[in-house]
Amino acid sequence: MPGSFSEALAGITLPDADGRQVRLGSLWESQPTVLVFLRHYG
Amino acid sequence: MREHEQAFKSKGASLAAIGLGDANYARLFREETGIKFPLLIDDRRAAYRAVGLKKANLLHLLRADNAKARKRAQAAGHRQVRLGQNPFQLGASFVFGPGNVDRYAHISQTFGDNAQPADLLAAIPATGSSSKATS
Repeated sequence: MPGSFSEALAGITLPDADGRQVRLGSLWESQPTVLVFLRHYG
Repeated sequence: MREHEQAFKSKGASLAAIGLGDANYARLFREETGIKFPLLIDDRRAAYRAVGLKKANLLHLLRADNAKARKRAQAAGHRQVRLGQNPFQLGASFVFGPGNVDRYAHISQTFGDNAQPADLLAAIPATGSSSKATS
């Protein structure tokens, strides 16, 4: 089990709303990122 | 979160959101809210499970902290419009980076238990800082 939340998420790839695949770790690789897990859309 | 997007950006941070559902749901949400930051879809809950996010149940509606959280959310103007495919899935908010550094973590314990924007803003490091913050 990775030691931090960011490590646990970094390797996961998810599609965005347009179908592009995004590796989560790339979001905060070079800048701080606020990441929010929604309960639902809307 | 979208109301504070500019404040986050002015501190040099980016924003991203992860939700359940499908691409159509996500696109509709993006059109209705006008958000520009990445909106990712985790229909298999892989990311939710990776960080141990919780699920609530109907009994949560009876909890005192839930009533307070719902009042707070309503006072802030939040309204639940749709339930989604996993209505009991709870959320979380994090501030990460640069790199795999955890600067802030808020794991929702019940419905309406959301991170305060001021806490998220405070967790964003000053430009050029590499100090590790606590959650």
